[in-house]
Amino acid sequence: MINLVQNEMIKLVRKKRLLVVTIIMAVLISMFTYAQFRESERVQERLGTTDWRTTLQQQIIDIQNRLSGSQISDEWRKQLEIRVSQQQYYLDHDINPAEPGAPTFVRGFIENSIQLLLPLMIMIVAADLVSSEHSTGTVKILLTRPVQRWKILLSKYLTLVLSVSFLLLMFGILSYVISGIVFGFKGWNAPVLTGFTVEAGELNTAGTHLIPQWQYILMEFGLAWFVSLVVGTLSFMLSVLIRSTAAGMGVMLACLISGTILSSMVSSWESAKYLFMINLRMSDYLQGMAPPIEGMSLGFSLSVLAIWAAAALVISFVSFTKKDVY
Amino acid sequence: MKGKWVLFVTITSVFSCLLWMFGMGWALFDYFNCSAKSVAEAPAETVETDRNGIHIVALGDSLTRGTGDASGKGYVGYLMEDLEKRSDQKMQITNLGIKGQTSVQLAEQVKQQEVQRQIKLADTILITIGGNDLFRGGQTLAELDLQKVEGLKEEYSKNVDGILSSIRSQNTEANVFLIGLYNPFIDMEDANTTSQIVRDWNERSADISAKYPKAVFVPTFDLFQLKVEDYLYTDNFHPNSEGYQLIAERVAALLTW
Repeated sequence: MINLVQNEMIKLVRKKRLLVVTIIMAVLISMFTYAQFRESERVQERLGTTDWRTTLQQQIIDIQNRLSGSQISDEWRKQLEIRVSQQQYYLDHDINPAEPGAPTFVRGFIENSIQLLLPLMIMIVAADLVSSEHSTGTVKILLTRPVQRWKILLSKYLTLVLSVSFLLLMFGILSYVISGIVFGFKGWNAPVLTGFTVEAGELNTAGTHLIPQWQYILMEFGLAWFVSLVVGTLSFMLSVLIRSTAAGMGVMLACLISGTILSSMVSSWESAKYLFMINLRMSDYLQGMAPPIEGMSLGFSLSVLAIWAAAALVISFVSFTKKDVY
Repeated sequence: MKGKWVLFVTITSVFSCLLWMFGMGWALFDYFNCSAKSVAEAPAETVETDRNGIHIVALGDSLTRGTGDASGKGYVGYLMEDLEKRSDQKMQITNLGIKGQTSVQLAEQVKQQEVQRQIKLADTILITIGGNDLFRGGQTLAELDLQKVEGLKEEYSKNVDGILSSIRSQNTEANVFLIGLYNPFIDMEDANTTSQIVRDWNERSADISAKYPKAVFVPTFDLFQLKVEDYLYTDNFHPNSEGYQLIAERVAALLTW
């Protein structure tokens, strides 16, 4: 088995997929770092101060002003109200929600990319693990070996798990190093509040507690890893089912993008919460943001995603072992 | 060479895989086991901030916010531009105005810890309040019940008194400017009655601010008395850019420190 996995790893490295994805990430992270840098400069100029308390207070006031406008949807109003109470909580407890430094950037970046950017990167690797064997014709050579088919597929799946982990590590290292050049490398021990829950549209602070930022980031990456793995598994299934890599990627892309659009407008369509793409924003539960549909929680999203992934795995294996290859 | 690369990638992947699994486990553990460890409230006297430059805090309603001004600056923005031209000192403005805020809400706002800290640091405090208390989005005018207006005024007086005394207890040095109301309905019917009401209201504000040292009541009634339509935004209630500039000029003339 180890040899099979090793063999698959060699193929993956030869194809330079990991390298390409890493380079894409490096370029994007540089762009976001620059954008973030400009933004913080602008805020500083507008307020004439570097005091985070003043900045945070101003953010709260800005949101309150938006809330007092009449042309604002109920959904959005709820989201904003929760954000205000959370920021007020930070302010009242004298904790800076965005201690300047690279770790804070990493934290914000993983939160923003968990739904779309990261799954897309994973998809690039996962989508052609099996289907590329079809398109290059090597699948026949592979299957004529005296190894059972399920073992071959399992070795490919393990390779996927490994490359997901590898890419996420690259994602973390790159965003830390690149943003660190601009913002400085300190801030691992800055306190972060977690344990906010949203109940009936109100922020509940009963379970709130402080943890150091490095722990928070590790927890977020753990959840991001799970999300990436689920997305990878689904792409893997498509790669088994659909011979054309492009078609498989297209389907997955459509799902992921529809997820981001849907989560901003599904609150009245309750059964949409069983769709996997609505459940990708797992890090929001740590942060204490209102979920897109009432009643969603970390446990719920976790089970939904796990069920989707398990089903995808079963389908992949059944299909791969039964399929006629010609 | 290639083989080493593959080995390196594989081993790194395995270790990161274990790391992420651990992270995920920790996240779940932390999420489901959050025994309520309470987070300490911040001690009241914590923060030292640099006090260089001039610090202005603006409190109040949509006038402070700048509603109706095409450029969004409001009188506070124009005032700042003017001051920056006149003075070399570093200016810092904190605009805490919230649209639609009434005196009750402002009285609550000045009790917030961070707002109090801002007030403490301020050299000058600007307040616009009362417009929403009196006009209530035009409802008062529709009814025009003098008895009721009297009640609103008493309520307002109490709140403004509270606001000013709260500010003074935080900061005894800063100059406080309480900006008066104008009558946006001066062109409409019952102009005499509404103007009378606004004048009485302003008189009350002036009386209250007179009780506090270094508190100045700034009238704006006269600015909008003639040609009111030239200075009002299309909602016929908030000032437009020219209107805000008038207010800013008046306040700028009074500022000293």
